[in-house]
Amino acid sequence: MNTLANSLWIETRKVLRSRVPFFTALGFLIMPFIGALLIFIYKDPQLARQLGLLGAKANLVVGSADWPGYLTLLIEFTALGGFFFFCMAISWTFGREFTDGTLKDLLAVPVPRLHIILAKFIVVAFWCIALIGETYLIGLILGAAIHLPGGSLTVILHGTGLLVVTSGMSIILVMPFAFLASVGRGYLFPMGIAIITLILGNLALTLGWGEYFPWSVPALYMQGTSLTPISYVLVFLAGLAGLIGTYLWWMYADQSR
Amino acid sequence: MNWAIETENLGKRYGKVTAVDSLSLRVGEGEIYAFLGLNGAGKTTTIRMLLGMIRPSSGVATVLDKRVRLGSREPWAQVGYLVETPHAYPELTVLENLEATRRLHPGTPKKAIAQVIERLALASYADRRTATLSLGNVQRLGLAKALLHNPRLLLLDEPANGLDPAGIVEIRELLLEITRQAGVTVFMSSHILAEVSRLAKRIGIIHEGHLLQEINVEELERNRSRRLQVRVQDLETARANLEAAGHPVHVTQDGAIDLMDTDSLDHPDRIASLLVLANTPPTQLFMEQEDLEHYFLRLVGKDGDPQ
Repeated sequence: MNTLANSLWIETRKVLRSRVPFFTALGFLIMPFIGALLIFIYKDPQLARQLGLLGAKANLVVGSADWPGYLTLLIEFTALGGFFFFCMAISWTFGREFTDGTLKDLLAVPVPRLHIILAKFIVVAFWCIALIGETYLIGLILGAAIHLPGGSLTVILHGTGLLVVTSGMSIILVMPFAFLASVGRGYLFPMGIAIITLILGNLALTLGWGEYFPWSVPALYMQGTSLTPISYVLVFLAGLAGLIGTYLWWMYADQSR
Repeated sequence: MNWAIETENLGKRYGKVTAVDSLSLRVGEGEIYAFLGLNGAGKTTTIRMLLGMIRPSSGVATVLDKRVRLGSREPWAQVGYLVETPHAYPELTVLENLEATRRLHPGTPKKAIAQVIERLALASYADRRTATLSLGNVQRLGLAKALLHNPRLLLLDEPANGLDPAGIVEIRELLLEITRQAGVTVFMSSHILAEVSRLAKRIGIIHEGHLLQEINVEELERNRSRRLQVRVQDLETARANLEAAGHPVHVTQDGAIDLMDTDSLDHPDRIASLLVLANTPPTQLFMEQEDLEHYFLRLVGKDGDPQ
């Protein structure tokens, strides 16, 4: 347990001292502002017309210019759109050891390799949660600032519940990217696969196979689609496969960097 | 004798390429063993196999009585290492990097950081981010990380890399000190024979994955070829007299006489007397011992000198 705590200290320090969390936080920060802007424009059709294309786009994205519509948009942006940033966080956390040449310092040490890997996963999970929390909180403040109608504690709680489940699935689904960062010995390979995954996820949704493609399941859940337990099991298995694959790679693959 | 490192037919192949072939060596406890070879000879691959970072294709390695296995936690609490170019987390300071290393070696007291910082003369850089350090100081930090937990065995891959001449002497003195005082075993790789011959008791020479030779430093001195070079005014008379006295003569392209027979090498005074009596006194006479780099290149067959 002590070695896990020590590994957590090391991983936390590395993340806090790096500029990468700052950039992901900055990237995430844009989301609530875009959401609030779209809703604000939708609320005021006159302004929407004056803005032309942006107004037309706002009509496409936004369901309704009230709290439930705004929260749906915010959660879509955060939990689903945030997937790319979550991938960035996990790819950097694992891939940096290879690109910075620091992996060798973690290998011949009297600390279980599992603890080193677990510490990285835990720190990434907290990193993602912090990003979600930051966005959601600012989103709520912006929602209040533009005086959206239809707000109540029940609506906010429902939205928060939806956010927790959807982002929870998103966080589980980035775990295989730790394995890809390890196999690819850096961050480029997992980031490339992340883009392909987003494309495949959309394709699966379009073709109606979304419930069997783990990376499409959070979007279906968001939309309120009735899902069978198989979909949730597939999400869980994808995360588990990422964890086990990463562990096995770190334990048994030749590390010549 | 207790062996700190023991390998038996240790080998590593990457497809058709053999990086290390049937390497069997033993390093005694408290010994400084130098592993010498050109770039790509297999030194780093061997060190990585000894550290359980690479799975051997054949053979076994035992370090501090524990068989080395991939992913194992033993015997690393007692082993410090530096593999290839040292790296550190660039966003962390020297102190924070050492603290991270300390936490990877449970039981290492906090004061060990201050001690190792002083030992490696890193005090003025302690609060600097390692991204801003010079190559030499990153090397010092790498050595500090290896020494932090007072290991019984040090595996050092090219420990003098990036250090200036003063730094090389300093690290040499440090390694000699910890070997003498704490009985630490040092296994170090290098491609510079002159450097390791001042430090190591035994030297293993590896070339293209094969262990060519294992010698003591004393043997090394004996094995290096010597020649007695003589210059005279009358080359032909000197040559005739030397050959008549039973000394095989080799005349160099620039008109000097090289003598390499044992009698000449052991008694250069007799050669001088012989030439004086033959009325061809030497204008120059000196003993030349093959330098270490030349000897090393001769051993690995990379010696381009026809001599």
